[in-house]
Amino acid sequence: MYQFDMRRIKEYSFLGVISLLSFFMIFPLFHIIFTVFVDGIGTLVSTGPVFITGTLDDGGIGPAILGTLILSFFASLIGIPIAFAVGVYAYEYPYSVIGKATTALLEITQEFPTILVGLFVTQILVLPMGTYSAIAGAFALAIILMPYVAVYTKEAMSQIPFSFREAAFSLGVTKVKTVFLIIAPIAKRGILTGLLISVAKVAGETAPLLFTAGGLYQTYPDSLTQPVGAIPLLIYTLVQSPSPADHAMAWGASLVLLLIFLAAFIPLRLSIKEVRM
Amino acid sequence: MSESEYAIEVENLNIYYGNNHVIKSINLKIPQKTVFAIMGPSGCGKSTMLRSFNRLLDLNKNVRVNGSVHLFGRDIYTGDMDSVEVRREVGMVFQYPNPFPHLSIYNNIALGLKMNKLVKSDKELDERIEWALKKAGLWEEVKHRLNDYPSGLSGGQRQRLVIARVIAMKPKVIMMDEPTANIDPVGSKKIEDLIFELKKDYTIVLVTHNPAQAARVSDYVAFIYLGELVEAGETGKIFTAPESKLTEKYLTGKLV
Repeated sequence: MYQFDMRRIKEYSFLGVISLLSFFMIFPLFHIIFTVFVDGIGTLVSTGPVFITGTLDDGGIGPAILGTLILSFFASLIGIPIAFAVGVYAYEYPYSVIGKATTALLEITQEFPTILVGLFVTQILVLPMGTYSAIAGAFALAIILMPYVAVYTKEAMSQIPFSFREAAFSLGVTKVKTVFLIIAPIAKRGILTGLLISVAKVAGETAPLLFTAGGLYQTYPDSLTQPVGAIPLLIYTLVQSPSPADHAMAWGASLVLLLIFLAAFIPLRLSIKEVRM
Repeated sequence: MSESEYAIEVENLNIYYGNNHVIKSINLKIPQKTVFAIMGPSGCGKSTMLRSFNRLLDLNKNVRVNGSVHLFGRDIYTGDMDSVEVRREVGMVFQYPNPFPHLSIYNNIALGLKMNKLVKSDKELDERIEWALKKAGLWEEVKHRLNDYPSGLSGGQRQRLVIARVIAMKPKVIMMDEPTANIDPVGSKKIEDLIFELKKDYTIVLVTHNPAQAARVSDYVAFIYLGELVEAGETGKIFTAPESKLTEKYLTGKLV
């Protein structure tokens, strides 16, 4: 006769419940990817390459793709150097008054509603300039990007054992060189992954761009001081339209956004080697 | 200032971690070109004291150091020497072998030399690295893979790489903080032999919680207990006829 083993039954039922809950958690992710593929691929195939290169009148989203690239690039250019420096500072002086304040403020800024960042940039750039612009959009994204980069940088560097710092100092290496030649390179994978996640996050932002970048889909942007489009912004606009053709286009644009995200994320993530201790 | 016959002279040294008094009024003289062992149970303050000899404690803002430490007659805590100069002259080997994992074997040794501009040409750099690896007894094992990362080395080999990294700087004193604590017995034996070899040219300060190791390799020994210096002197004398009952208890394994 098979004997009931309560311990085993408990173990399997616990495992079952956990698996089910995990499934519910990751199901939306796969559903989103699946739906975007199924609904987007039709538009992409029927329109052809024009969908990527053409303007809205040609049935394409070229200006939005370029806009997203421009905004992400300039947001990174403005945000990453500053944020990296702040992250290094918070790592290097964790117990100083400014260091503690910086860490606390960074955590708050991370959770800050992004639409308020958009309003702030409207106040300081859009209204004085009298127009939406790529600069304003990139600036808003940079503000959102910075706390993420800084926190990831600080955390990645904090993971490195103290003994490497001691070793560097005991060889007569100065404080600054220890950070840049020893700690940061050992923490490379963590820091770059943080950068990647941060840039991917702002590349998918919509709210802060509403009243800063404005939107431009009929022609390609030719100036940083003029309005510029972005894929998430275009999706938002298209979905509000009553026309089924616009909805189809929104699905196509969603697929392009997803593909850009995967194309940038997966190879980079795989190519950054862990430093083996 | 005249050169002292002692490599390190410690006078009335007190170290505090916050309000915690961890090293209490220690006086110590470490003669040149000898192996000086500092032994004591875990947590007695020996590693902390060692870190005060090359100003590594400066890294920790909660630590206060009072008293004086002289390196060949020069005070390392007053204006006489800056901390980078001190660390160049006092090399350090750590309990956990810590070659830099992102640098090749070659570059692990080259780093300190380049940072402190101790070599003038690439040729001199190559020669110095080969010399240091030979001195550390590692050259034969790594000469064909100088561009490999240290992750492929065994624990004992890594520790000898760290020792080569220190020797390459041509310091006057080499401090070792329980250098064999994380190494297998064969690797430990090689490092102990190396310590013996190195004392011809360098003063070696060895921290250990293993009295047998102190007996094997040192010429002088100091016994620290709860932050106080109990006894110091020639190794032979301390191990055969200790003056203090406490030392005797420690050496016979009756002190926990």
